[in-house]
Order: sequence, then C-alpha cells, then structure tokens
Amino acid sequence: MELQVTGQTDTGAVRSANQDAVDWCVDPSSGQALMVVADGMGGYQGGEVASRIVVDTVMEVLGPALKEQPGSESREALVQSALDLASERIDARKAQVHDLAKMGTTIVLAWVSGHRALLAHIGDSRGYLVQNNTVRCLTRDDTVVQNMLDDGSIREDDVPNVPFRNVLTRALGASDAIATFSEILLEPGDQLLLCSDGLTDALAEATWPTLLSQAESVQDAVQLLVEASLEKKAKDNVSVVLLATN
Amino acid sequence: MASLSQLVDHVVVTTFEIDRPEVRVGRRADNDIRIDEISVSGHHALIEAVPNAYLEGTVDYYIIDNNSTNGTFVNDLRIRQRQRLNSNDMVRIGWNEFRFVDEDENAMEKTAYILD
Repeated sequence: MELQVTGQTDTGAVRSANQDAVDWCVDPSSGQALMVVADGMGGYQGGEVASRIVVDTVMEVLGPALKEQPGSESREALVQSALDLASERIDARKAQVHDLAKMGTTIVLAWVSGHRALLAHIGDSRGYLVQNNTVRCLTRDDTVVQNMLDDGSIREDDVPNVPFRNVLTRALGASDAIATFSEILLEPGDQLLLCSDGLTDALAEATWPTLLSQAESVQDAVQLLVEASLEKKAKDNVSVVLLATN
Repeated sequence: MASLSQLVDHVVVTTFEIDRPEVRVGRRADNDIRIDEISVSGHHALIEAVPNAYLEGTVDYYIIDNNSTNGTFVNDLRIRQRQRLNSNDMVRIGWNEFRFVDEDENAMEKTAYILD
C-alpha cells in the first residue's frame, strides 16, 4: 500500500499568530509514515513554543524508527517515550522563562506501518478516518465538554453554547504526559486526517468527503480543506495533516 | 450567582435569585418562584444548580419541565428533557417570559485554557 502524506497550517481568519505546529514524514522503503499536529496555548508566544517542542521532539525520537519495523507494543512505548521527553522539555522551558510559565499543547500523532495506524493523543486535536465517503472520529477529546456529553449532562447541540467548551482536562505541559492510544487497520483508498480544532470548529465534518473527493491530489485535498475553513472565517489556527493510501 | 428575571414587554419586572440547589417554579404557593398565572401549572418546572464535576468552581444550571400543561421553553424551543441553561437564555414558563442570567458565566474567560 502506497502512503502519501502532506499537511498545512494556517493562522486562520482572525488570529494574529499561529500557535499550531505540524510535521510528517514518509519512509517508502519500510512502508511507514509519521504525522503530527499540535495546538499550543498559554500566553504570548507560549503556545508556539510548546507546540513546536512537541512536534520537533516526536520527529526527532520517532523519525529514525521509521526505518525499522517495530511491533505495535514497542511503537506505543516509543511514542510514549517521545511524549515524556517533550513534556520534560516543555517543563524545562517553563522553568527558565517566566513568560512561558503557562504554556501547554495538545498533540495528536499517527504512526502508520503498512495497514496498521497507531494513533496517540492528548487534548482536543483529533484524528479521523475517511473511508467510503464517511468520516469517523478516532479520538476522544480530553475536554470538560466531552466529559459532560459522555455523562449525559449536555447534548451535541448544546456544545456551541457552553462557555467553557474550549477547556481541556489534559494537555502536555499541564497534566501528565500519558497519551490515549488506539490502533486501526487501513484499507486501500482510506484517508487518515489529523487536525487542530480550528478545522473542526469552522468546517462541519459532513462537508469533508465532498471536498476530499474533488481533490486531484493529497496536496490539493489539504489545500481545499484549509481554504474552505478560511472561507468560513476560521476563528482559530487551522492545521491539517492528511495521509492517503492506494 | 444566577438569576431569573421576569420580563413584561421586554422590561424586567421581578428578579428571582437561583440561590439553592433546587428552585421550584409553579403556580402553587409551595414553589420557590411562584407565578400566579393561568398558563402556569401547579408545579411547572425545576431549576437545578449543580457544581460541575470536571471544572472546579463552576456551577451548571439545568431546567426540567414537570409535565406541565403549557410547556417550558428555552429560546423558543419546548424542552423535552433536562436542559442546560446558558447566560442570557430566554426561558418561557407557559406564557411568562424570563431571562436567565449567570454572572459567573459572563465573567468566564472565553478563550481556551488548560486545567492545572
């Protein structure tokens, strides 16, 4: 199965700075790919620093492992070790620079090895599987609102009105660094999409399959999603990393 | 602190504080908020103040209709189940209009932040 990956991050239609960070790499020889999205937060410049630290650390630790073929368990352990290191680095910077004391970041990453995709996340950046023109969210947000949805306190249509809808219960730099893991099997033609909440807040998931089906390439698909979110006046930074299989 | 202000022709005529975990609304004398008006059922609705289990220091307010004859509405939609209230929601009890205000919610920072 051939893997094609690309990504894009945009400041959005309202914000003046981009606190998201993305990266990805593909190793065709081993049939593996790594994709990462982080959404930083916490004061002037803090978010940019935190999201950049975690993305760089993930690529630094996991990038070389793409040349090998580690099993599922060791892939999970490697991912967790990368996140632990990123957390330590964020804590160290927070201790050094007063202005960065409140910084933190979400993280969602996917490590695709052949048909298997390992997902890990902390916070509310999401992973989606696009299969046969349907979109399925693969991650559960670490947010107060998600907890309230799960316990039945509120319903989906209440979410846009809840004043603390953006409050995270977990984030790198603010809680322990233990990620939530899941694994899925990809079929040829499937697409795996990672994004920050700037995309999901601006553009309804139901509109994605049509946009993706219009795209002539994976680069085109990402461009169409980002442009559509900007047309909807995306209030937050918008980041997308998309993997296509064939 | 939250409150329910009764409006007549868009003017506040009475304000009721939601100052206990359960506030009963209805026509009978044993309600906390008594509305002596024909469209209001004896025990019409209940407002609950519930500390948020996931966000320390935050109280959520919910309204429940007690099978009233003429219904309880939030922003013109008749509620069929327990409904969370947001500040400035319009609540209608029978034909009586109220504005729900949660001052703590208005003060809450609306941008994303992280729980420590």
